[in-house]
Amino acid sequence: MKPAGAAALLGAALWAAGMAHGAENPDLSTAAQRAMLQKTLESCTACHGVSGRSVSPTFPSLAAQSAPYLELQLHAFRDQTRADPDAQAYMWGMASQMSDGLISAIAAYFAKQTATAGSNETSALIVQGRHIFEEGVPTRQIPPCASCHGARAEGNGPFPRLAGQHAPYLLKQLLVIQSALRTAPVMHGIIKELNRDQMQAVAAYLESI
Amino acid sequence: MPWYSFKTLLGASLFGSLLLGVTTPSRAVPSFARQTGMACAACHTVFPELTPFGREFKLNGYVLDNIKQVTGTGTDNRQTLALNSIPPLSIMVQVSYTHTGKALPDSALPGALAKSGDVLFPDQVSLFYAGKIADELGAFVQLTYDGIGDHFGIDNTDIRYAHHLSFGGSDANDHALILGITLNNNPTVQDVWNTTPAWGFPFASSRTAPGTIASTQIDGRLGQSVAGLGAYGWLDGHFYAEITLYTAATVGGAHPLDSTQSNVAHGLAPYWRLAYEQRWDRNSLSAGVYGIQAKVHPGNGTALQGVSDDYKDAAADVQYQFIGENHLATLMATYIHESQTLSASVIDLFAANTKNNLKTFKLTAEYSYQRHVGGSLGYFNTTGSSDTVLYAPAPVVGSASGSPNSNGYIAEFDYLPWLNTKLQIQYIAYEKFNGMKLNYDGTGRNASDNNSLYALVWLNF
Repeated sequence: MKPAGAAALLGAALWAAGMAHGAENPDLSTAAQRAMLQKTLESCTACHGVSGRSVSPTFPSLAAQSAPYLELQLHAFRDQTRADPDAQAYMWGMASQMSDGLISAIAAYFAKQTATAGSNETSALIVQGRHIFEEGVPTRQIPPCASCHGARAEGNGPFPRLAGQHAPYLLKQLLVIQSALRTAPVMHGIIKELNRDQMQAVAAYLESI
Repeated sequence: MPWYSFKTLLGASLFGSLLLGVTTPSRAVPSFARQTGMACAACHTVFPELTPFGREFKLNGYVLDNIKQVTGTGTDNRQTLALNSIPPLSIMVQVSYTHTGKALPDSALPGALAKSGDVLFPDQVSLFYAGKIADELGAFVQLTYDGIGDHFGIDNTDIRYAHHLSFGGSDANDHALILGITLNNNPTVQDVWNTTPAWGFPFASSRTAPGTIASTQIDGRLGQSVAGLGAYGWLDGHFYAEITLYTAATVGGAHPLDSTQSNVAHGLAPYWRLAYEQRWDRNSLSAGVYGIQAKVHPGNGTALQGVSDDYKDAAADVQYQFIGENHLATLMATYIHESQTLSASVIDLFAANTKNNLKTFKLTAEYSYQRHVGGSLGYFNTTGSSDTVLYAPAPVVGSASGSPNSNGYIAEFDYLPWLNTKLQIQYIAYEKFNGMKLNYDGTGRNASDNNSLYALVWLNF
């Protein structure tokens, strides 16, 4: 099976798992639960920005992020199965007391926020990044990123939205995934041969759209 | 008896002792990390300096928690208790070594010298309660054992309540406003930028090396001798405004406060603060103004009634931070201007001039690599009107010229094997000390004789 096909299959399974947590129907039935969500979001915005549009590239923008992806990540933080250094430093604590219902509600909230606008810049690096994103790197058996993340990197189920994301954050994630500091079963195989220059190019492109 | 009077000598000594005591180091506390589950790096560049998130945490009342809570609910479904399941306690230990350029005179034997080089074990040990008390209510309370004074005492304390409001836009989420109340014992201890005095550079410095003769009221002279209740607002992560009213609350000594105390605030001393912060990419830039207007009784053997001295402090500050993956840098500057109307001090013969002024400028550049190895360079300059009585001659701590002018440089190297462990070597070099470069105290001591090396082991756990 080609990497892209395997990725799609695994992705579909993960997406189904994500949906099982109920992102579409977060439990906000009581005033207390709504108050808890509001209070939690106040903490989120301290780093991830108002409505999930982050200023610092240390912290990813969450606005319009795919809800199943957000749920998976919050569960991974809570379960401490996502263990890259920043996850440990910031998110293990933040997610440690979150209930499944609260995780679903947070994911649903950020998913419906207006996305961060891309920088709309162009450069040789961005053109190179677009090529990698849309065509992959066949000589290194790297499939097109767009096949899972969407033609405009808008995300799809468990595959995160990447469009408009901070380039330094994306580069860092590619590096920690490649070095297995962050576990991401689909991505480990796909980006195994992606070098740092190519990572920078694709990150620059994604930040621009 | 030398040519200066016993009274001025006593006054200068008390003043000098006070100044030596006011440079209380600032701290960072692991109990916040235990409460939030977040590493020190979330809130600090290198402790105790705050990151933008650290500022948010403090402005939110120290209440962000990610640990199991002991809760209670009333019959009306109102939450009556939200308590951390483990108490937010921390301990700080500081062990230091100070070596001054020239040994200090013996405190009892005329002509003799004190031991050159001084180890303090401990320099200070502090116990903190730092964290949540209840929903929206948190505290930073510090009890310190002072290795010089050989006693426990209250140190920096800030208890605060913070409430969130959001408004504007279709989902009332366009603007975020934090409204807070602070109850504290040191003007600027409640501030979130490291440009204001209570949490300013140097974060820790020698208390056995001689300190300069003059500092403004806002720059530590009121610390732990006042109690303040204030209100603040923090809008959209940009605008900060605060008013806090302070009143005398000197710790220890005679109570009710009487003539045996010194520098006792009269009535209410309003403190004000306005600041703006802009964050972009990995940068943050803030600029602000702050000040205090304090009427003060000199005390020190004179009654705490009748005419008082009047101090008007107005200051401006700027801070720039870059927080990269590997490289972190901070630039900090503050300028403080104090207008003094010393009506009481002139009557009590503590000052010659009714009108004086005092100005302090501090500039610091810091760098850290991965919060692991770093250093700072600082420049400080204090100038003001001369007053031969207020700044009287006295060995080491006095001024032969009657001038408060002092300036110099601080260089510091920090090594942090762990985020909560700092090994610090600091060197302070004076160009001018209490008015002069040479023979500044009238007993032959030069400014450079007070240059000091300060090595510190600073542990927080």
